Amino acid sequence: MNGSLDIFSRRNRRRFANMLFVATCTLATLMALLALAAILASLLRNGFGSLNLAVFTQDTPPPGVAGGLRNAILGSVLMCVGAMILAVALGMLAGTWLAEYSRDSWYAKTVRFVNDVLLSAPSILVGLFVYEVAVRPLHSFSGIAGALALALIAAPIIARTTEDVLRLQARSLREAGVGLGAPVWVTIRRILWKSAAGGILTGALLAFARISGETAPLLFTSLNNQFFNLNMLKPIANLPVTIFSFALSAYEDWRHLAWAGALLIAISVLGINTLVRILSARGQA
Amino acid sequence: MANPSATGALLPFAHRRARGAGFESLFYYACVGAATTLLCAMAGVCVLLAVGGWPAISTFGLGFFTSTVWNPVTDVYGGAGPILGTLITSVIALLLALPLAFLTAVFLTEFCPHPLRRPIGIAVELLAGIPSIVYGMWGLFVFAPLFATYVETPLMAEAAPGTIWERLFSGIPNGSGVLTASIILAIMILPFIAATLRELFLSIPMRVREAAYGMGCTPLETIWSVTLPYVKRSAIGAVMLGLGRALGETMAVTFVIGNSHHLPRGLFDSGATISSTIANEFAEATSEMHTSALLALGFVLFLITFLVLALARAFLGHGHNA
Amino acid sequence: MNDLANTDLSGMQHAPMATSEIMEQHVDALSQEAVKVDIRRLNFFYGQAQALFEVSLPVAKNAVTAIVGPSGCGKSTLLRVINRMYALYPGQRAEGEVLLDGQNTLSRSTDLAWLRSRVGMVFQQSTPFPMSIFDNVAFGVRLYETLGKSELAARVEESLRRAALWEEVKDKLDRSALGLSGGQQQRLCVARSVAVHPEVLLLDEPASALDPISTAKLEETIVELKPDIAIAIVTHNLQQAARVSDHTAFMFLGQLVEYGPTERVFNNPRTRRAADYITGRFG
Repeated sequence: MNGSLDIFSRRNRRRFANMLFVATCTLATLMALLALAAILASLLRNGFGSLNLAVFTQDTPPPGVAGGLRNAILGSVLMCVGAMILAVALGMLAGTWLAEYSRDSWYAKTVRFVNDVLLSAPSILVGLFVYEVAVRPLHSFSGIAGALALALIAAPIIARTTEDVLRLQARSLREAGVGLGAPVWVTIRRILWKSAAGGILTGALLAFARISGETAPLLFTSLNNQFFNLNMLKPIANLPVTIFSFALSAYEDWRHLAWAGALLIAISVLGINTLVRILSARGQA
Repeated sequence: MANPSATGALLPFAHRRARGAGFESLFYYACVGAATTLLCAMAGVCVLLAVGGWPAISTFGLGFFTSTVWNPVTDVYGGAGPILGTLITSVIALLLALPLAFLTAVFLTEFCPHPLRRPIGIAVELLAGIPSIVYGMWGLFVFAPLFATYVETPLMAEAAPGTIWERLFSGIPNGSGVLTASIILAIMILPFIAATLRELFLSIPMRVREAAYGMGCTPLETIWSVTLPYVKRSAIGAVMLGLGRALGETMAVTFVIGNSHHLPRGLFDSGATISSTIANEFAEATSEMHTSALLALGFVLFLITFLVLALARAFLGHGHNA
Repeated sequence: MNDLANTDLSGMQHAPMATSEIMEQHVDALSQEAVKVDIRRLNFFYGQAQALFEVSLPVAKNAVTAIVGPSGCGKSTLLRVINRMYALYPGQRAEGEVLLDGQNTLSRSTDLAWLRSRVGMVFQQSTPFPMSIFDNVAFGVRLYETLGKSELAARVEESLRRAALWEEVKDKLDRSALGLSGGQQQRLCVARSVAVHPEVLLLDEPASALDPISTAKLEETIVELKPDIAIAIVTHNLQQAARVSDHTAFMFLGQLVEYGPTERVFNNPRTRRAADYITGRFG
């Protein structure tokens, strides 16, 4: 009869549509994975060959001469570490305030909103801000300015994760500390922070991974330096800006070094992300 | 300090102060101070850009937003090129990334064989972690030449003159250009949107999905009629967050967009975005007015991203991790 | 309800059932020397909603007072006024008097940290701190006293013994407290609270999450702590109240309905509501 035939073909249509959908989804995922594979493959192919001991032992060379990335690597490490110290201090305290002291006041809501915007704000604008604040008045680019810019990018991430993780702590834990007569800040420091330590560490690692690859904010703050320089009050060599100028140059040697540097950054970022994953898996186990 | 006896009897109301009690207010003010610093930082960025860009905007008036003339020699600046470039590349990137991200998220939550779910999920997140400068280099040295050879040249050759296709595909087939930049941007924001959507899908209580399947819905129908409407609001927020990221992206775009201030005539033509312009020109700005023009552009970018991010947050609620 | 249900940020519990309609009441008098905490005409508010109405109740020295009643009647709220735990949450306020040894703890000038060092609390959810067992018990002690190493160790042992936990943990004092079982964790919280030699101990449904064996051990502990401390225990479990307490207070809809020696209240309730509750007419 017409009725049963109808249902039959309708069922088939639905199944066909679904099959098509499954195929499209699979295809889309494969494309995403393909992009990842392509990028990693290029990195390895172009960067690996140029990655040798000299990269770590020699400084950035003038064009046409062989060299390495030692000063850039060190400069980056210095700035990232400095930035993290500032960002963790700022972020943890701000996140603690948001979670423990003041949850619903309008001021807290404003801070939370601003923090979220800063989280995703264009990093180049942060660089401009730090330029006006720390570079122009002092008439000098400096490693400190660079670290400051990176800190302003990392701090919101840490503030956010700290607040989220502290909020997850059972209310009774805080009450138990206060119930023993502990001052609120002792309760926070010795009980709540310890209890939330895993989550806070994860946030810090993610923030570190993020800033180790940031280039734009360093363009006008730490600038770059061809030479080995550990003085944070002067322009300091760093990996991202070095890669930027070397990659766009006309010199073969420089371009090889740029790929090596890109590979290094990618390895460290991916390594940190993997570490975070391992730590959270272990934390949950 | 009163010392309790073995049975704990105390002198009534003998006051003892807890160790560390004195620092209570210090800690509190440190916390408030930190929160306020973050607030001031953003206020500072806004004010700085506005104040710094004011000379340029007041000099060129509305023309700053409509003119594409950008001439450091004559000190005349019009930012329409970069502004439009930012908008165009971000929108195209979103149009390219969104369907793929959505489909990937669906695959990971519905169809992917279980043992593969974690590895593929991790792979997608790794893609999100790659720094933009790496994307830029890959885009310029690997993607662009391939794109030029296999896509741009054939398409430009095939496009019949006088049709819309010819206009669309005009430009120089060297691999750099508006479309290339958009594609790189799309690859950058895809993992972020996919991961966020996936989390949203997973946050739906199982019983809702079970109810749909229990009625005999196919996965497609479940997604369409049940899952998506359930997370509609947050999904929009997630997409806008992705857009916000695309708008502010600098390094990946700077490498491949070609950096010219005129309005791109076609997809393969070169253009500029606000961030690539600032990145390229700020350090060597030739005059006060030049710097001011760049800061004005920065202010425009700030406003656009602020708007998009604020909207995204309104849709997402605070609960979500950006 | 248990803590987990209270996810509201301001600490507000789910809307407490309360009524201002005055109910039939019977309160047995207690001689003044026997009273450690005297609650007088206590009214409590969650924002605009009133949760406790003119509650007047004594907590006896060296005895266990059980506070019972159906869900939402205000038992936990009342308990949390005694150590002013509600002060952590904006919007919650108490009016009236709570006299600890004759002095009103609700007054503005009371030092809360010090009050809480005299009035300990054990929660429904066990709350071991993320540190070793030793450090958990020593935590409160270290805040207020400077003891030498051996003195501190002696104090920790004394507290663990009083909580009936010493034998089980004496060999693993520096292991993390998070590794203990639920019943052990709860007894650890008791040990932690008694280590500072409080004068009053408040227990908020301490055994509701425990298995029968752990519950029995905990009840033994409570009875043994009696000689030194005034104990107030909130419980859902009437049999438990009958087992451990010397005095019982029955609350209903935010008011104190009946108070008296446990045996009298259970065997010879003087108000109809108390009689209905005890005989199980409502739960």
